[in-house]
Amino acid sequence: MKVTIKEWNAVAAWRWDMPDDDVCGICRNPYDSTCSKCKYPGDDCPLLLGECNHSFHMHCIFSWLRQEAAQEKCPMCRQPFKSKNQEAETQDATPNTSPA
Amino acid sequence: MFASKRLSKELIKLQDKLPPGIALVKADDFREWLMDIRVMDDNPLYSGQTYRLKFTFTQSYPIEAPEVVFVRDESHPIPMHPHIYSNGIICLDLLDRTGWSPVHNVESVCVSLQSMLTSNTKNERPPGDEAFVRNNTQRPRDISFVFHDNSV
Repeated sequence: MKVTIKEWNAVAAWRWDMPDDDVCGICRNPYDSTCSKCKYPGDDCPLLLGECNHSFHMHCIFSWLRQEAAQEKCPMCRQPFKSKNQEAETQDATPNTSPA
Repeated sequence: MFASKRLSKELIKLQDKLPPGIALVKADDFREWLMDIRVMDDNPLYSGQTYRLKFTFTQSYPIEAPEVVFVRDESHPIPMHPHIYSNGIICLDLLDRTGWSPVHNVESVCVSLQSMLTSNTKNERPPGDEAFVRNNTQRPRDISFVFHDNSV
């Protein structure tokens, strides 16, 4: 018997590589969902992981860090909040800025 | 919008399950809530009493701290504590701009206040209470408290 596929629809699911039941500590929405202001999850509303290993929706942590009262500290552990990726970029850039 | 979404999540949880000694009294909107707390051990300063807390939220909650005060009526006194003024204003770092964190919530604030009372042994008001209560016209959020006492 010969089967000819006339049409097919692919369905894919995605999730952030995070613990199952975890929610953003700021908005309390799941990581796989959006912050309270966004409509579409995923790349439009990404997560940001800090050096302290605490993560939040990027929009949530930014609205916190924009406040003077935040003193640039992580809401969870009060260590200075630095994005892990940002740190890698800074390190890469260091040799270029050192005197010749 | 930020505040109402987060508060509706908190409300669902509060209506479902609360720690012992904490009760939701009124949450008709996302601006002002009333919570009752009781001290669960036999601290003689607070035994048998229920205290009422008023939470006032801004649109920016939880980025901005809620304003939290004790309120007095016939059945709810203001608890005696060296960091609680007799008009219900509370001097606690986590309620201040510099001590607040957006991972706190209504329940965690209630638990903190419960433990602040539980651990207290002094039957007194803050120094200068009478003058503060007479003269203060500021909202609690605009007062700059100096946190110096780490013992209570």
